[in-house]
Amino acid sequence: MNKIKIISGIIAVMILTITLYSCTAQRAAASKKSGAQLWGENCIRCHNIPSPGDYNDVDWETIGLHMRIRANLTEEEIVKIVEFMKTVN
Amino acid sequence: MRTIAAAGLLFLLFFGPDIFAQDFKPSKTQFMIRGYGHSGLNYEKVNDEDPDVSYVGATFAPMFLFKHSDRLLFEAELEFELEDGEVKVGFEYANFNYVLNKYITARAGKFLLPFGTFMERLHPAWINRLSTLPLGFGHDGVAPSSGIGVELRGSAPIGSGKINYSLYMINGPVLVTSAMDPEEAGMLRFENFEDNNGNKAVGGRLGVLPLSNSSVELGVSFYNGLAGNTGSQYENVAASLYALDFSYVKQISAIKGILDIKAQYTQSNVSDANYYEMAPGDTIPVSYTFANTSNAYFAQLSYRPSMASGFIKNVEIVGRYSTLATPEGAEWEQEASQFAIGVNYWLSWRSVLKFSYQITESVGGHGNTGANTTKGMFAHWALGF
Ligand code: HEC
Repeated sequence: MNKIKIISGIIAVMILTITLYSCTAQRAAASKKSGAQLWGENCIRCHNIPSPGDYNDVDWETIGLHMRIRANLTEEEIVKIVEFMKTVN
Repeated sequence: MRTIAAAGLLFLLFFGPDIFAQDFKPSKTQFMIRGYGHSGLNYEKVNDEDPDVSYVGATFAPMFLFKHSDRLLFEAELEFELEDGEVKVGFEYANFNYVLNKYITARAGKFLLPFGTFMERLHPAWINRLSTLPLGFGHDGVAPSSGIGVELRGSAPIGSGKINYSLYMINGPVLVTSAMDPEEAGMLRFENFEDNNGNKAVGGRLGVLPLSNSSVELGVSFYNGLAGNTGSQYENVAASLYALDFSYVKQISAIKGILDIKAQYTQSNVSDANYYEMAPGDTIPVSYTFANTSNAYFAQLSYRPSMASGFIKNVEIVGRYSTLATPEGAEWEQEASQFAIGVNYWLSWRSVLKFSYQITESVGGHGNTGANTTKGMFAHWALGF
């Protein structure tokens, strides 16, 4: 059980450091961010990040709606992200 | 005649695509098939027994998405799995989603439950960074994975961060009684296609992303419902579960890659009840009871040098620690902990080769009394399409 404590301890310390580190990063609401930035920040949270070129415009519309719901993204985020995907794919 | 035909053909060849392109307009309704395949080789050795080596999984999971309008989406997923030489068909989910407004989406049908994050977001083989599930998930898991009912969910920006929520009402869990399965008396079964009592289970999750870069998410989930059959002695037995989850994912230039941390704690409490066992030599069953509380925990850390060049940017290393504790005094009493490490090679954003090693120490468990050490090696692949 000692192993558990050590590992949990290490993880807790890492989480804390990272959280503090992230807190100092610049703050800007989604409304000030570009679709590209929102894509980079949000689409890596659960799985690897897909590239715009992975799908065509029609597919991005469907995926956008799917991810908006499944990943609980805000309307503004998903509108901007899908727009970005369709522009650069 | 031939020249005309040839000219016609040439015309079509050069201008055909343009002609058709002019007619081509994407339809408003869209149908899409996606999904994934997965299989692998497992090597497992319990204590000093002969190892068990087998190919597993051979899973093919097609997912169907039908977008009817910008607001209405249908999603369904089937899972075909080869197990013991037979094809098992699983019905993962099938539900309708309707975007009511900016902040609220309604769903109905069978859906993956946002109870914690593992089952809803992380369990598909092309997302899960290891070949196995953490302790406490999957078969005999302490957390529900899907439910049939209705749900409201959505998200909203708050300050420089955002929150997301989900609230659902589903057919609740079923309590396993001694008559159903003496070995599992007191366990909860979450697959409940027809409700065994009038009481629906109610659950939900609140997720908070405090930072504007969305890198951190903290979540709290709950799930409450009656579990016993109406009219039986278990009619008032209630199940109350909660979970805490944490996620941190960010590409950090200082370490030239993506750091990904995921963790979840799950606790299940079921009201006290009497169960019955037949000891050898007994003629009538003897009643017994126990404090029916289980918990499970996992923390996972992975790193991928995504900003490196060449081969190395597709390599990922991952470590995960998980524990499971089931009630003392139950037939399925168990205390287990597991450490898993792995190396992955990503062929594309959703195709991966996974190699891992894990060691599980457990005391008790199904049909076991003593302590066991299980070592496993896994080579799996998953391919999203
Ligand atoms: C909260 C977690 C989460 C986030 C954030 C997320 N996804 Fe997903 N994504 C999933 C899950 C889970 C699936 C698998 C669905 C399944 O098979 O049940 C998925 C599947 C997909 C697929 C496969 C096709 C489909 O629609 O299922 C694509 C493409 C995709 N995501 C793109 C994105 C993009 C683009 C973003 C950023 C806007 C994103 N995802 C953000 C969880 C997430």
